[in-house]
Formats: sequence, structure tokens, C-alpha cells
Amino acid sequence: MQRFLDPVVLAGISSLDLLAKTVVDGFVAGLHRSPDFGFSQEFAEYRAYTPGDDLRHVDWNLFARTERCYLKRYRGENNSQLTVLLDASNSMQYTSGPPNKMDYARFLSASMFYLAIHNQRDAAGLIVFDDEVRDYIRPSTRQGQLARLFAGLEHATPHARTDFAKPLQHFQNALHRRGIAIVVSDFYENPETIVNNIAPLRFRGNEVILFHILDPQEIRPALRGSALLVDLETDQKLEVIPEYTRTSYRNKIDTHIEQLRSRARGAGMDYQLLVTDQPLDLALREYLTLRQAGN
Amino acid sequence: MGFLAPWFLAGLAALGVPVFVHLLRRHVTTPRPVSSLMFFERGTQSSTRHRRLRYLLLFALRTALLFLVVLAFADPFVRRSTGGSSGHTQLIVLDNSFSMRSGTRFVDAKRQALDVLAAKPRGDKAQIMALGGQLEILTQPITDDAQLRSALESVQPSDGHASFGELGRAVRSLAETVHSPIDLHLFSDMQRTAMPANFADVVLPNNARLQLRSVAQDSTQPNWTVESVEAPAELPDPKDSRRSHVRAVVAGFGTPAAVKTVSLVVNGKTLATRKVNVPAGGRATVDFAPLDVGYGFNRCAVKLDDSDNFPADDASIFVVRRSDPERVLFVHAAGDTRSTTYFGAALGAAAQGSFVLQSISAEQTADIDPSRFAFVVLSDTMTTPSIFEHTLAQYVAKGGNVLIALGPGTTRHTPIPLWTGDVQDIHNYGRLGNVQRIGQVNFSYPALGQAQPGRNNGGWSDVKVFYAAVVDPARARVAARLTDGTPLLLEKQVGEGRVLLLTSGLENLTNDLPLHPVFVAFVDHTARYLSGSERVSGSRLVDSFVELRSKAKPTGVVANVEVIDPDGQRPLSLSEARTAQTFRLSRAGFYQIRFANGRDAVIGVNPDRRESDLAPLPSDVQQLWSGSSSGGEPQTSAAAFDGVKNQPVSLWWYVMLLALVAAFAETALASSYMGTQREET
Repeated sequence: MQRFLDPVVLAGISSLDLLAKTVVDGFVAGLHRSPDFGFSQEFAEYRAYTPGDDLRHVDWNLFARTERCYLKRYRGENNSQLTVLLDASNSMQYTSGPPNKMDYARFLSASMFYLAIHNQRDAAGLIVFDDEVRDYIRPSTRQGQLARLFAGLEHATPHARTDFAKPLQHFQNALHRRGIAIVVSDFYENPETIVNNIAPLRFRGNEVILFHILDPQEIRPALRGSALLVDLETDQKLEVIPEYTRTSYRNKIDTHIEQLRSRARGAGMDYQLLVTDQPLDLALREYLTLRQAGN
Repeated sequence: MGFLAPWFLAGLAALGVPVFVHLLRRHVTTPRPVSSLMFFERGTQSSTRHRRLRYLLLFALRTALLFLVVLAFADPFVRRSTGGSSGHTQLIVLDNSFSMRSGTRFVDAKRQALDVLAAKPRGDKAQIMALGGQLEILTQPITDDAQLRSALESVQPSDGHASFGELGRAVRSLAETVHSPIDLHLFSDMQRTAMPANFADVVLPNNARLQLRSVAQDSTQPNWTVESVEAPAELPDPKDSRRSHVRAVVAGFGTPAAVKTVSLVVNGKTLATRKVNVPAGGRATVDFAPLDVGYGFNRCAVKLDDSDNFPADDASIFVVRRSDPERVLFVHAAGDTRSTTYFGAALGAAAQGSFVLQSISAEQTADIDPSRFAFVVLSDTMTTPSIFEHTLAQYVAKGGNVLIALGPGTTRHTPIPLWTGDVQDIHNYGRLGNVQRIGQVNFSYPALGQAQPGRNNGGWSDVKVFYAAVVDPARARVAARLTDGTPLLLEKQVGEGRVLLLTSGLENLTNDLPLHPVFVAFVDHTARYLSGSERVSGSRLVDSFVELRSKAKPTGVVANVEVIDPDGQRPLSLSEARTAQTFRLSRAGFYQIRFANGRDAVIGVNPDRRESDLAPLPSDVQQLWSGSSSGGEPQTSAAAFDGVKNQPVSLWWYVMLLALVAAFAETALASSYMGTQREET
């Protein structure tokens, strides 16, 4: 079953729909059945109709028997709203082998959307950003939402450089309900700046998860000789030597990851480092854990 | 310095490959994209320089490897002025014959030979030979200069007679095994007498080039010598005027007419002195009589008192032994008196006969001890008392000699004493009217020796044979045959002794030999041969051989022989003393010899008098021999090797060796770099 979650195998699947279904079905089938599942199908309460309520929620059977108009409410109607903030900057197209970070982020996001909409009946939305907001799909549970989200993921191509300030400002303006916000990025920024920009989401009662996507070569780069490196976002060039990558670079990237983790948790956010050669179940499990916690 | 295949130097263009890989390619580094440079820093200069230095070492090794391989294919060479090899075998022959003792000839020849050896290219093989009485090969063809020089310096002048014919044969034999060109350097006085009668004997093979180095300073150098001495080897009575005299011949080579003083020296004392007029370039005879010598061996010499430029040949030595006349046992048939008469008369008439004939019939030999006689004659005696037959067999086995004559009393199938065979047939030519004559005579046989036999076969062809026995000549030496091929005189070795078999009689009934003068000479030679007096005294020439024992492999109790050379040394080792059959008299002087049969001898040995003629070969003969290449002109030692001075010596082997070392170093260095890279991953 694990092989279905292997990123290398997933990279060979062209359809995000099929990919998400494969990942989630494989993931769910591997879980133990829990009594907490199926809550969205259970009846919660009746509420008297008030003008402005959606007539689709009226219990017409009860109205026929009692001539009173009540709305039938299910517990599931209080489900979370999932919003994925996908970093589509140029740095996300780096790869040392399939899949690249952008594809990995797509697989991850698609799996989240499928799990949320198809399994959890949650509303799901997408914000694609780099230094601007490139695409925004409002969270919804309507029919076709999943297809829209997948189309949004397909059209998300790496572009420009990362800037968390503007997209998050836009997100705060558009967010009216609290829910789960998942930021998928490689976070090549100062950890303090990142956390400062994302922390306001938490103040509105959102649960925020930072999925830090990195390539294995970014954690443990291997240089056979001195090399000329080019920054994918700035096109800046730099000659480095293998001795540096074996010592100082590793210390710096480890420090960066640790600082980001500690500061994110300090700000009440969850942080998860995802390496592109790892299976996706780690991210799904993180999401469900947070979902069950109270959303 | 040059290249044998310079076109391969075009391969040096391949040096551009490591230059491109190490020096040019490293500056065209393909940019490598990364997500962000925020964690990267520029490499420090010192670290990069260190890495660059390591790669430069690899670059240098690779460049050197390519360069050396290309260089090896181009086949570089150097020209060596000395120490190279011309591919020739240098054959250095130093004449150390007796004539080289004249003046400074030998010293000059050796010095010139050493100069030639020093100028020899180091890689050339050389062989040293000494041309004396025999051609001595002192070294094999080798390149070791020290060994060659040592061998050359060890050569000393000898007393032998050189022969260029022997040198020619040796070089022809050498050319069959050595296929490289042979440079023959002959250092000699180029004596005319060393040249054989047949010029074909000295012709050299095609791959041999002769360079004559003559050391004869003056071809007209006069030299007198005592050419020959005629003296009795045995002298029973010094007062015997017929025999007690010495006749010497004094000869001059290239000399003017002169009066020379000649002395006879016996045991170191001058007995007589004579003055003789020697004509210009001629000979003169001088007689000394009587020869007053004591009993035993007397060491005598005839000397020229006036010394010349070649004093070594001014004396001729010989040995005279004075002893009582030896007895000869003559055993005849009972009724045979003729043989005794004829044989006794001939023995007494012989000029140097020192024998007394004791004649007895066969029946009277029972208590006769043959060992007290010089030799024994059995004339027409087929049967003797068994005790005498036994003692006679022991006598022969220990070295005694017997002459057997088969007279008219011989019958068919009768066993011949001491001969281990019987009479196979009887040829009575007189009765058949088919008188035979003596057809073949071996004059080299001592009993028949004659210097110049003449047309009548030395007188033997006039002898008529009426009666002869036929014997099996197996294992016997046939010295004379009749005209029908029947053996007349045979010799067989029995133990240490000899048995001579005359298949006819010693009287005038079976043949008319006793009536001919040749019979006296025959008896004389036979008596001296069988008594061994020829061996125990007199004089010999250098390089002649003395027979020490009869058989090479003696049976029974082995008797040692003993030889003491002129210096008082024993040249034979103990093993040689037990097995040696002959001994070469290699030096001039007096030799003392004890034969295997117990007899003692003192022999005077003189150099061959042909060595006294110092006249060199005519220049035209020298030119003809050495060929047109040398032109007959003496060459200097340095000029001898002009043609081989600058020989190219290829260096490709050494270059390939260096390339191999560079390849190993490059492999080791490159492997260490790759090992580091694996650790990095």
C-alpha cells in the first residue's frame, strides 16, 4: 500500500484526480476504522426557520406532518474550511530528481482537497501565490469544487519570487470563517519574517499548518567540485566549493529548519518538514490529526 | 640526439586533450541551479588554490604520459662516440712464437694489442688468442674489458713455431659459429716461415676482415743459429771414433759472411771450441770429436759464443746417454743359423748400434729371463718352453718388446706366440713362381723411418719375397704390405709392450731382404725402436709429443708417470700422471721423464729452427692476405674503429619505462581523487 504514496510513483500519474484518489484511498484504507468518522452524516438538531435561511435545508417531511417549518441541521454542516496557500515561486521548481518541489506540493494539495471534500465534506479553497496572489479559489463544498481546485493546481506554474506579505494580507481579507490554513512552501525566507507574516492567520482562530517542502539535495547537497550556483529566483550566481557544502551549509540549513519549527510552534502553528522523497501520508496524517482536534 | 620515426611526433597534438580538460574546461563550468543562495557562501581562495594544485599535479602526470608515449613511438636515439657497439667481433691474436723473443717484438706487439683493446667499442665482443706452437683460445667472445685485458696481459712468449695456416683454420671454424662480422687483428712479426705452402690454408671467410699489425722493425736483421746437431743418443764407448762425435750445422739468415766461434758444452763444461767460416746467408758444419761423456745422461749443448740480436736460438741442446751395450736375445729354431748371421751382422753394422746379440735356440730358453735384454727376437720359433713363454708374456705386458719373424718352419694354423692368433695361410710364392715384392711401406713408422725414400720406395721395392704367412691383421698396425696386399710387417700393442710381426723370415730363404742394404737400416731402426733408446735421450723439437704409456686405460696395477719440466716443476697432476698417455714438450730445455714401464729419460728440447729465420712475409703477400680493405698499410689503433664511432643507440625502451612509471602514478593519483568523491556522496 505504501507504494501508492511514494512520490516517485505518483510523479508518473498525470491526472491529479486519479492521483489524489489513489493517495487518499490508499491512505484511508490503511487506517483503523474510527467511531468518530461519519459524524457528518448524523443528525444534530432542528432549528426553527428564520427568514433568509436556505430553503434547501428545510425538513419538508416534518413540515408536512406538523405544518411547522424547521431546518434540519447535521453535525457535518459545521465542518472545517480548508484553505491551501501554495507557494508558486521559481524556487519551487528545483529538483534533484522527480518529483520537483512544485509537483510534490501539487500532489500534497490535491490529496488534501480530495480528503477534505470527498471524505470529510469540508470546504476547501486554494490560494496560489508568489510575490503576488496568482490564483484564488474560494473555499466551498459545492459540486465541482474539487475539479476547480485540481484545475487551479494544474495551472499553478512557478513564477517570480516568494513574498508572504501580500498573499497573506489578501487571505486575511477574504477569510470569513475560521478553518484550517495550510501553507505549502520551501520557506526561503527569514523564519522570523515568515512567522510574523503568517501568525495573523492564527489570531482569527484558524489552525495553521506549515508544510516545508525541501529537496534532499537542499538538505544534504553533494558537490563533486567547485560549482557555479544560480539562484532560481534572483538569477544571482555564486561559486562555491564542496568543503563549504559539507560543513557550513549543512549547519545553516539545519539551523534554519530548527528556527522555523520553533518559531512556528511558538506562534501556535504546526510545522512539518516534507522532503520530496518522502511519502505523502505524513502530511495527510498531520492534517487529520489537526482536523480531529477540534475543527 | 634524433628520432628514427619523427612522423610520430605529430602525436604531440594529443597534449591538447589534458590541457583542455585541466586548464580550459575548468573555467567553463556549467551553472547549477539552486532554490536559493541564502545559505551559500563563496569558496575561500586558499582552498580553491589547494584543489587546483592537486589537479595540476594530475595534469602534469597526464601530459608527461602522453608526451612520453609519443616520444617512444618517435624512437629517439643518441649517437655514442665511445662505448657503443659496431656489431663486430674483435678477434685479437697475439703471436707469441719463439721468434717474438727477438728484440722488443713481443713487448711491442702486446702493447699494440692492448691499445686496440682499449679503443674497442664497449659493446663489441672480443676474443683473445695466442698464436704459438698451438693456437690457444684464452677467452670466449665477451665484452668484459677487464677480463680481456687480463687475458692479453697473461700471454708470455713461448718456444713454439707459429703457423698462419692453423690461424686460418681456427678463424674459419669460428666463423661457422659467430655470424657477426669478425675483425681479426693479428699482432705478429709476420715470419715468412709461418706461412704454409698452400695459400688456401690462410684464406679467411667472407665475414672476417684481417688487419695485420707487423712488429718486425727491420726485415734485414741478421741472425745466426745452430740449426741442427747430429749426436748419438746412446754412446757405449766414447773412444769409438765412428760414433763418438758431434756434428753441428751453423746457419745464418740474412747474414754477411762471418767467422763464428762454436762451443760444445757437456753438463755445463765447455769441452771444445771451434771456429767456423759461415758464408753470407749460408751454412757451415762443425765437428766435435771425440765426445767424452760420463755414464748416465749427459746434458749437452752446442753454442755460438758470439751473441747476436736473437741470442735465444744461439744454442742447441741434446742429451747423450752413456751406457754399456745392451743385449738382444735372439731365439731361433734349432737348425736355423742364417737368420742369426744376417741379423747379427746387420745389428753390428748399424752406425749407432749399441747392442750385443745373444743367440740361443728355442729349446735353451727355459731358464732365460727376458727382462735382462733390451728386446727379444723370435726367429722362426713357433714353439718355446712354456716357462719361457710365460715369462716372455709378462715381459711384454710390463713394457718389453718382441720381434717375431715367421720363417720357413711356420705351418698353417700354428698359434703365433704373444699374438693371440694363428697362421691363417701360407703363401709360398717361390714355389708358385709368383715372387712378390714389397708394395706399400709406411715410412712414418719408426722401424721403417726414412727421410727421403726415393722412387724405389726406399729400397724396399727391390726386395723379393718368396714365402709369407697370412695372419689376421685385426687390432694390429700394418706397416708394410706385399704387392698382393699380404701384410708383411705388423705391430700389435700387448700390455705396455709391443710385438712386431714380420710375416716372412730373417734369413735369405724366404726373401732376399737380408741381402739388401735396406735390411741394415731396418734392423738399426727396429733395434732402436724396440729398445726404446730413441725415447730416453737425444733431442726433440718444441711441441712434439712423448708417449708416456702404451694404453690410455691401463689395466691391472697402474704405474704413474713422472715429468719434470725445464724449470723443475711437475706439469702433470696426480690424476694425469695415472692416465696421461702422451705429453707435449711445450718448452725448450731439458725434460726428465719416467715412463710407465719404469724407464727413465732425459730429453733435450729445442725450438723449431724455422723460427730463427726472421725474414718477414713480402709486402705483396701481406696485402694479398689481408685483402684490399687494409691496403697493406699498418693502421693505428684509433683508426681501426673510426667506422663504429658514432653509432645510434635507441632510447625507446627507457622512454617507455618512464611512460609506464607515469601511468602508474597517474592511476594512483586519479584513484585517490575518485575515492574522495565517493566519500562526499
